[in-house]
Amino acid sequence: MSSSFLRAEKIGMRFGGLQVLSDIDLEIGERSLTAIIGPNGAGKSTFLNVLTGVLRPTEGVVAFRGQAIGGLPLHRIARLGIARKFQIPSIFSSLTVVENLQVARWGSARTEWPEDELLEMIGLRDRRSVQGAELAHGEKQWLEIGMAIASSPTLLLLDEPTAGMTPQETADTAALIHRLNKKLAVIAVEHDISFVRALGADTLVLHQGRFFRQGPFAEIEADEAVRDVYLGRR
Amino acid sequence: MRDPSWLIAFAIGLLLLALLPTWVDSYNLTVLRDALIFGLFAASLDFFWGRTGILCFGHSVFFGLGAYIMALVSMTPDIPLPSLLGLLAGITGAGLLAGAVGYFLFFGGVRGSYFTIVTLALSVIAQQVAVSWSSVTGGDTGLIGIPPLMFGGLDLSGDVASYFTVVALLATVLLGLWALSRGRWGRILTAISDNEMRAAALGHNAALRLTMTFVISASTAALAGALYVAMAGLVAPDLIGLLLATEVIVWVAVGGRGTLIGPVVGAVLVQRAQQEISSFNPSLWPLIIGCVFVLIVFLLPEGVLSIGTRIRALFRRGAA
Repeated sequence: MSSSFLRAEKIGMRFGGLQVLSDIDLEIGERSLTAIIGPNGAGKSTFLNVLTGVLRPTEGVVAFRGQAIGGLPLHRIARLGIARKFQIPSIFSSLTVVENLQVARWGSARTEWPEDELLEMIGLRDRRSVQGAELAHGEKQWLEIGMAIASSPTLLLLDEPTAGMTPQETADTAALIHRLNKKLAVIAVEHDISFVRALGADTLVLHQGRFFRQGPFAEIEADEAVRDVYLGRR
Repeated sequence: MRDPSWLIAFAIGLLLLALLPTWVDSYNLTVLRDALIFGLFAASLDFFWGRTGILCFGHSVFFGLGAYIMALVSMTPDIPLPSLLGLLAGITGAGLLAGAVGYFLFFGGVRGSYFTIVTLALSVIAQQVAVSWSSVTGGDTGLIGIPPLMFGGLDLSGDVASYFTVVALLATVLLGLWALSRGRWGRILTAISDNEMRAAALGHNAALRLTMTFVISASTAALAGALYVAMAGLVAPDLIGLLLATEVIVWVAVGGRGTLIGPVVGAVLVQRAQQEISSFNPSLWPLIIGCVFVLIVFLLPEGVLSIGTRIRALFRRGAA
């Protein structure tokens, strides 16, 4: 396997008798921006779990900078420079905002983002001493993105980053991702089409656990077959 | 507990303990000294249980191991610095055992109540070994004639000297554990206890961190055990068994988990109550300690020291 940035080859994933993913390829470069979309049950989150090494695929290999990562312990994957934001906001509720960011920073050997810049970026400068448990849902989402950035990754994977956000917050998130993308590669799994449109990223469409289409979002959006998939006509 | 209030409580406690010998007789001083050693033991459990949320039901194993190793080493004839070697060997032995137990359990993914059950079994096994391996441990009667603390020419066996030795060690260890708890180490532990998978996804090796915390906690328990036998002059299987493992949990629960000072206060208060109650009916104590435990779990899950916080909260609500 060549040593490209992130490369997934012929990925298949089976849980017992259920084939969730089949024969999916993906290759991305440094500082690239990729969206993965598809209707509910298309296998997006499972694919993201495979890409982050949380799940070892039953077929195929995922390699980050030439190293196979499937089945590696989570903390070792993180130290390779892969950060992840989970679908359900998962922050440390007993710690304050700034402590959450510190813990994220301590897990990594690199510290590229100063604390104040991070707090400013995620809009929580005035809430730095508030306990995680007391944050509003949207603030938790932002904090979790901040934690992922604090660990100074070179690849950031976001699982439905705008779930539960207002339209304004969604637009802000898209702007933040563009800003981050200048320094690192981002893969976002999303089913909010307006957000993916705002991202304007290279888009991979999954359908029933298989590769369906890949290309610039404008082309994907105009594709009749993709619309059929989303409207359930296929 | 917030930083300033912890330090104030610590300073007041230390001042009280330092002044106490001026108006307490030597019998009560030695009783308090022994209670403080058990307080150190309670703080060692609290450092692990309070920070990780994982209950060890076999902490007496490490206290007892420290005690037995201290007894055996310091009773060996013709070795230099027997007290110091005994203390170091006890602490190292318990640390190694905790490292092995922690490695197999934490790296094997054992957490929560499963860890509690395994460590409970460990304390039963340890007590059985202490009773059965009588050629080394002295069996049921244990070992007597353990020499008091001596460091070179420095004799710390007197009532007042041994009391101040215990107070100084207790204060130093408490400050050390507190500094660890409030700094980077403690925050990462809190993060792991909040959401271990998230902490791992940020690059933290949770199993290693838990194992190392367990080793520190067990070594501190062994220090307490080794001190105790040097002061008491004897060691017996009840210092390694299930009853002591249960009692230390009660001391921490009474004093307040996660506060480090609270468990020391809990240990002193509960042992005082035990003496009072046992003086008129020795068989009443286990029944009472059981009931106290149940009441605390239901009424004061944050410990007895939380009464102050609760009363303040009530007043604030009343004023609002």
